[in-house]
Amino acid sequence: MSKGRNMKEYYFSTNKMCVGYDNKPLIREVEITLPKGEILSLIGPNGAGKSTVLKSIAGQLQLIGGAVYFGDDRLGEMKTSELAKKMSVVFTQKVTAEMKNCRDVVATGRYPYTGWFGVLSGEDERIVDEVMELTHTAEIRHQEFDKISDGQKQRVMLARAICQEPELVILDEPTSFLDIRYKLDFLSILQELRDKKGLTVIMSLHELELAKLVSDKILCLKGEFVERYGTPEEIFESDFIERLFDLKEGGFLKNEKLSGYIRQISSQP
Amino acid sequence: MAERSQTPSWRPRMPGTRGGSKRNRTCRYITVLILLGIGALLFFILNICIGSVRITLAEFVGQEGNETITKILWDIRLPRAAAVLILGGALSLAGYLLQTFFNNPIAGPFVLGISSGAKMAVALVMVFLMGRGVGVSSFAMILAAFLGAMLSMGFVLLASRKINNMSMLVVSGVMIGYICSAVTELVVTFAEDADIVNLHNWSRGSFSGMTWENVEVMAVVVSITAFAVFLMSKPLAAYQLGVVYARNVGVNIRLLRACIVIFSSILSACIVAYAGPISFVGIAAPHLVKKLLNTVEPIWMIPACFLGGSVFCLFCDLLAKTMLAPTELSISTVTAIFGAPVVLWIMIKRRKESHV
Repeated sequence: MSKGRNMKEYYFSTNKMCVGYDNKPLIREVEITLPKGEILSLIGPNGAGKSTVLKSIAGQLQLIGGAVYFGDDRLGEMKTSELAKKMSVVFTQKVTAEMKNCRDVVATGRYPYTGWFGVLSGEDERIVDEVMELTHTAEIRHQEFDKISDGQKQRVMLARAICQEPELVILDEPTSFLDIRYKLDFLSILQELRDKKGLTVIMSLHELELAKLVSDKILCLKGEFVERYGTPEEIFESDFIERLFDLKEGGFLKNEKLSGYIRQISSQP
Repeated sequence: MAERSQTPSWRPRMPGTRGGSKRNRTCRYITVLILLGIGALLFFILNICIGSVRITLAEFVGQEGNETITKILWDIRLPRAAAVLILGGALSLAGYLLQTFFNNPIAGPFVLGISSGAKMAVALVMVFLMGRGVGVSSFAMILAAFLGAMLSMGFVLLASRKINNMSMLVVSGVMIGYICSAVTELVVTFAEDADIVNLHNWSRGSFSGMTWENVEVMAVVVSITAFAVFLMSKPLAAYQLGVVYARNVGVNIRLLRACIVIFSSILSACIVAYAGPISFVGIAAPHLVKKLLNTVEPIWMIPACFLGGSVFCLFCDLLAKTMLAPTELSISTVTAIFGAPVVLWIMIKRRKESHV
C-alpha cells in the first residue's frame, strides 16, 4: 500500500498482480493503470490468459500475488456489497435461468440495491426497463431466457450488468456470439455509457479491428508476462500484432492473402 | 404494466414467452399458496377422522362425552397428523435447498444418502444407549441424526468436487445411502432387544407412534429453521443464476453454502429422527409446487414448498394407514408410488430438452 505510485490518479489499477489457478502462476507482474471513463481491451492468442486476468480482477479468482485497486481501496478489503455497486461482470460460461423471462434476468442486476427480501421498487423497475431499451433487448423481454439464442443471451447479460449501475464493467469476450450489427451496437452502447456516465470498461476481445476502433488502452497478453500495454496507436504499429499472434510470413499461416489481413488492420489509420 | 411501443400488442404470444404483468403473476402465487393451505387443512382433518376407528366431523368438533374417541383423537391422531404436517414440509424444503445447492432437480435428502446417514447415526445411538437402559430424548435423537446427516453431506460434497455430472452425483449419493443402510441393518439385526422392536419399523419409515412431546420439539426446530431459510430468499435467488453472478452482486458464497448445508441437514435430521427415511417427497413435492407456481423465486417457493410437502405427506400417510387397514404400510412405500414417477418425468423431460 505504501508504494510510491499514487493510486488516486487512477480509477483502476493493479500492482504486480500475479494470476493463475491452484497457486500456479500463469501471468506475472501485470501492471494496469486506468483512469475513470476509459475502455481497456485485452487481446492475445487463445490460451494467453485473458479470462484468467479478468476473473482475477473481478474477484472471482484468488490472486496469487500483488494487488488490485479501485482508487485507493484494495480488492479483497472492500465490502462485497460495496463492490457490487461499483463493478459488474459478463463472463462466457453458459447461464441457465429456469422459468425466468429475459426481463427477470436483467432485473437480477438490481440485487445490490434492493432490501432484505429483494423486492424491486418502482425506481428499480424503471431502471430495468430503461436499460432494456438502451441495450435493444426490450423486444425480447417476455421471452423465456433458456430458449433464446446465445447472441440474445449475451445481450441480456450485458443488460443485466448495466442494470447493476456499475462504475466499472468487466466483460469476457462479450461479442463472441453476436452478428456484426449487434457487435457494433454493443460497442456503441459501451462508448455511449463511457461518454455519458463515465463508465470504465475492461474486456477481452478477439476482433482486433474492433479493439482498435473502440479502446482507449490495449493490453496484449502472451506468455508469462504482459507483452505490451498502451494506446491503440502504440499497439498497432508496424508488425507487433503479427508477432503477437505468430503470423510472420512463412509462420503459422501458409496463405499469403490471409496473413496479409493482419497487416491491413495494423496499417489502417 | 402498459405495453411498450416496441412490443406491438397484436403480436401473438409465442410458445417461448413468459408474459403476464407483475400483478397477475403475484395473484397466481397467492392463489397457489391459499390452495395449498386449504389442501393441507383438508387432509389434516381427513387424517384425523379416517382410521381404524372412524370419527365423524361432528364428533371431532363437539363430542366430549366419549372417552375412547377423545383419547384416540388427542393422543394418537392429532399428534400424528401434526407431525406429518411439520415433517412433510421440512422434507420438501430440505429437498428444495439441496436442488438449489447442486443445481440439480433430482437432488434430495434421500437420493443423496443424507437421510440414510442420519438413520445410521440414530440407530447406533439408540442401540448403544438403550442397550444400557438409558432413555433417549427427542433432542438427542435429532442431534445424532444431524451429525449423521452432516457426515453423509460431507461425503457428497467431496464427491461433488470431483463429479460435475448431475446423474453421477446422484449415483454416488445412492451408494453412500446403501452403505449407511447396510450398517443400520447390521446394527438392528444384532440388537434384537424388546426395546428395539420399534427401531425396525422406524428404519423403514413411519409416522406412527408420535407423542405430543415429539411434536413440540420438532415444531420448534423446524419452524425456526424454515424461517431462517425464508430469510435467505434473496441470496438464494441470486445463487440460481450461478456462482459467478451471485458473487458479483455481493452474495457471500461461502456463507450461503454453509447455511444451505446446515439448514438442509437440520431439516433432514428432524425427519429421520422421528419418522425414519422417507423417499421421493423431497424431489416430487418441490417439483410439483414449482409447476403450480410457474416460478422458481425462493420467496414464493419456500412457503409453497413447505405447504406442498405437508399436503403430499398427509395424503400419503392417509393412504398408508387406510389402504391395507388394519395393517399399516410403510410411508416410503406410498411416497415412492407417487413420487418416483415424478422423478422419472423430470429426467425424461430434461433429456428431451438437452437434445433439442
